[in-house]
Amino acid sequence: MISFLAAVLIVLGLFFFAGGSVGILRFPDFYSRLHPAGKLDTMGLLLSLTGIALYVVQDLTLSAILTALKIMLIVVFVFITSPTATHAILDAGVRAGLSPWTAPGKRGRT
Amino acid sequence: MRLLGFITVVLLGGLLFHLSLDFPDLGDASSPAATHVSPYYIEHTMEDTSVPNIVTAVLADYRGYDTLFETAVIFSAGLACFFLMRISERTAPKARFYRHLPTGLTLRIEKGGKIPEDTREFERIDSVWVPYDVIITMTCRLVVPFIQLFALYVIAHGHHSPGGGFQGGVIFGAAIILYAISNNLRRTLRRMSERMSALFGSVGVIIYGGTGMLCLLLGAGFLDYRGMASLLGVDPVSARSYSILIVETGVGLAVTAVMVWIYYNLSSAGKQDEGL
Repeated sequence: MISFLAAVLIVLGLFFFAGGSVGILRFPDFYSRLHPAGKLDTMGLLLSLTGIALYVVQDLTLSAILTALKIMLIVVFVFITSPTATHAILDAGVRAGLSPWTAPGKRGRT
Repeated sequence: MRLLGFITVVLLGGLLFHLSLDFPDLGDASSPAATHVSPYYIEHTMEDTSVPNIVTAVLADYRGYDTLFETAVIFSAGLACFFLMRISERTAPKARFYRHLPTGLTLRIEKGGKIPEDTREFERIDSVWVPYDVIITMTCRLVVPFIQLFALYVIAHGHHSPGGGFQGGVIFGAAIILYAISNNLRRTLRRMSERMSALFGSVGVIIYGGTGMLCLLLGAGFLDYRGMASLLGVDPVSARSYSILIVETGVGLAVTAVMVWIYYNLSSAGKQDEGL
């Protein structure tokens, strides 16, 4: 039962990863590409690593629980650092003077 | 002269390629290394050194000379970077920028002007203005201690799992470099000065070589850790295990310091004045 739940979580995580890759390929410019790269990768990692931790913790031994805890620690640190990295990259883009993409014909205030 | 150098390089390179054809094939089961050396390590590492991780035992004990000179090579890489890039004479820049911390004002002081002391009130900032980013600074402040703890774990746990001095040292150096990137070079130099990093690099190599010399003085061969048994007060097998940890600590120190030292020189083009 737990292994089935773990499989579902891992597959969901892979779905988010795939969505992130498609987004990076299809979005028009630097800023909008950072959106799938930052968000969907973090979400996919959360889901798939939670699935792996659940799979490990099936037999409730001490070493299995410790391994699952370590995996969840990876999730915590990625959750802290991945959005920060995206923020830093975006900040560098703004400081380098890259203007965001607007739909052709629909030019707002520039 | 340049032609002579070119001919030498081509001849030696050709010789190297020609002779490398005589090596045994990759994964050849009948090569001398696979018939005599590897089985010995696999069968005897535990009873010789009581280290479960064979790779660590081979790296720091059986092949101690190799690792000693690898550490020396890393240290000389740091030295080479220092000699090539460091600019010692201080030509004053056209203008310096200071931030008055209580008010947040930025001062631009031309060459020849009165320069304020770098104190609690005034802090020097880079001439290419880098805004103070709270998010990045705070996240790095949160993460850096954990990276350093993990680096110490990797160094100390090399006996049982993948890891050791080189890997742990690189992680520790990366933590300091992360601090330098998220803040700036001057703030990092205040925490770990250039003199400190040069000193730590040489101390790391001295710890390694000194352990070898200590073995020699205590009546065993150079880097034969069984000689350390009387000094550490344990039997010869555990002495080899403990000495590996001492040596790995030296390697970790050297790698950390040299990584940070090279970063200081590269990021500021040798001036160590401004930079990330």
